[in-house]
Amino acid sequence: MNVKDQFRFVRQNMKKNKTRLFMTILATAIGCTFLIVLASVGFGLHKSIIQDVMEDSLVTEVQVHGKEAGEGNFQGIKDEDIQHFQEITGVKAVTRRQSLQQSPIFKTEDYTAQSEAVSAYFPEEVKAGFELSEGRLPEKGNEVVVGSSFADGLSLEPKEGENAFNEDGTIKEELAYKGELVGKTIEMEVIKMEDGKEIKKSIPLTITGVTKKPSKEWMQIRTVFISEDIFKEVEAFTGTPGGNPEQIEGTPEDNGRIYDSVSLYAKDVEAVTGINDKLKEDNYMVYSIVNEMRQINMVFTILKIGLLFIGTIALIIASIGIYNTMTMAVTERAPDIGIMKAIGAHPKTIKRIFVLESSYIGLLGALFGTIVAYGISYAVNLALPLVLERVFEEAPPEGLMLSYIPWSLTLISVAICLTVTIFSGWRPAKRATQVDVLKAMRREV
Amino acid sequence: MIDVRELSHAFEIGKKEKKTVIPVLEGVSFSVEKGEIVTIVGRSGSGKSTLLNIISGFIKPKHGEVWIHGEKVSDYNEGKFADFRLANLGFIFQSFQLIPSMTAYQNVELPLILKGMPEKERQQKTEETLKRVGLIEYKDHYPSELSGGQQQRVSIARALVVNPPLILADEPTGSLDSETENELLQFIQELNRDLGITFLIITHDEKVAAIGHKTIEITDGRVMEGVLA
Repeated sequence: MNVKDQFRFVRQNMKKNKTRLFMTILATAIGCTFLIVLASVGFGLHKSIIQDVMEDSLVTEVQVHGKEAGEGNFQGIKDEDIQHFQEITGVKAVTRRQSLQQSPIFKTEDYTAQSEAVSAYFPEEVKAGFELSEGRLPEKGNEVVVGSSFADGLSLEPKEGENAFNEDGTIKEELAYKGELVGKTIEMEVIKMEDGKEIKKSIPLTITGVTKKPSKEWMQIRTVFISEDIFKEVEAFTGTPGGNPEQIEGTPEDNGRIYDSVSLYAKDVEAVTGINDKLKEDNYMVYSIVNEMRQINMVFTILKIGLLFIGTIALIIASIGIYNTMTMAVTERAPDIGIMKAIGAHPKTIKRIFVLESSYIGLLGALFGTIVAYGISYAVNLALPLVLERVFEEAPPEGLMLSYIPWSLTLISVAICLTVTIFSGWRPAKRATQVDVLKAMRREV
Repeated sequence: MIDVRELSHAFEIGKKEKKTVIPVLEGVSFSVEKGEIVTIVGRSGSGKSTLLNIISGFIKPKHGEVWIHGEKVSDYNEGKFADFRLANLGFIFQSFQLIPSMTAYQNVELPLILKGMPEKERQQKTEETLKRVGLIEYKDHYPSELSGGQQQRVSIARALVVNPPLILADEPTGSLDSETENELLQFIQELNRDLGITFLIITHDEKVAAIGHKTIEITDGRVMEGVLA
């Protein structure tokens, strides 16, 4: 008996009790919907969290926060460490930054802004993906690059008793800076404390470029990227490492430059693990998103398996309905089975027809269940932000997805649904092969 | 064609200690040659239907052997016998045994579907067979819409459609009136004569027994000596 005829046969048989068939398919569809929707919560949250983590940092980045020097001692990253990092296989760039230990005031014309000043090594920054929206990188010691939102921090002095800021924290229109930045000369005012008095120093700088806006709209970069020469000039003025206005007690002796922020960039994602392992082996304290993602993935894999397991229970309950339907079908069709066996139907053919019938129910249930699950998932994602906003009076995190149905989940669910339904149809199908020909033909079954 | 050797069978009734063994066939031996019509007669309960069911493979005998076409079919398992039946045997039952939810056409087509024959070839063969039994115009009728004689002809068409060399019939005229019975017997003789099909017919009807080239009488599970015609 060929497959086409088997399907024809199954469809013909299924038409015999449409109501019972409908109810069985409905039960299977509900089970399948429950399974998919439940597991989709795990998939949705996983996706949202991964997306969130990924947006905050680069996958190829490995941050180095220092080195363990034994007996719980911590050592900052120095130039010799940087040299060592550059020799590690798979490293594309090693960026290092030093933040000035005070927030200088920057002035241009009558506008002022207080921002963080950072010394960065640009050749490596560029290799790591540092980009400008306009202008060029600094070439001389007094040239600087400013963050994309630096201009947003520049404002005129407000009149006495007035506030320079709007309610949302932005500078009032009439006080905000509207001009160009590239080519402008700004004064960087740094301070030092001497005998309780504040002594100021002004360093003239030229803006040569503005950094590219970050992909996240809410992120504001107002940093001023100064040269190493300027950084040293500030250090010389304050007489403290990092240009701290005051000498801090217990500050270790200067044994060379110590970087505040060091990141290694791998050539590709595959190289990250190797770099990570190598750094750990050399006692460096590292953080990479790949490691964090590995942990997140593990937690969510366990969660998803758990949810799939709970969902499968619903399907198993639905399979009782299929078992019942198939048992009834075998009992009702016993005379027909007897006749078929009498004229030469192989027991395997009889079994295949009934297993196919239960699979058909499973397949239809899975199909309708999947369609409904997609609908529910869409509705949940649409309604959830509105509900959260209503209840908590706060906008939910951007990109939050409570339910997500990837193809893999659909395939897993359909496979579970089919397995469960085939399994539940197996015993009735076996019973069909055991129908006694003579009893069946005498209608005694 | 058929060789039955020392066939014995008994039914067991009841469970464990209360089990009763009722012998049905005892040392039955006979043979049927190719192209013959052989009728088996006997009173009700004589064991003739059990004999046919054993030859058909519906019952496994306790002792003895059944050979068909030179093959010892009594040793076959259920699956192997099913394949053998499909390829070599046709069946005509007293109560026709048509599937009620299928039309006359579908009932006749069924053995060809089980054989896995392609649809086009199957259609041609089914229609040809229905024409032979004179029921082509009733092909879309369900069994409940046909008379007893017509149903039996559908049943014969179903048996004939696979071109079996041997047809086993169990009281084929048992549910028919006298006129239809005559027609059917004539048709059986025609098939035997024209197509050379061998028939083994179980009956208690003398008229049916009379068409046999050979008649075997079974009494109390034994073949009566000297009654073979």
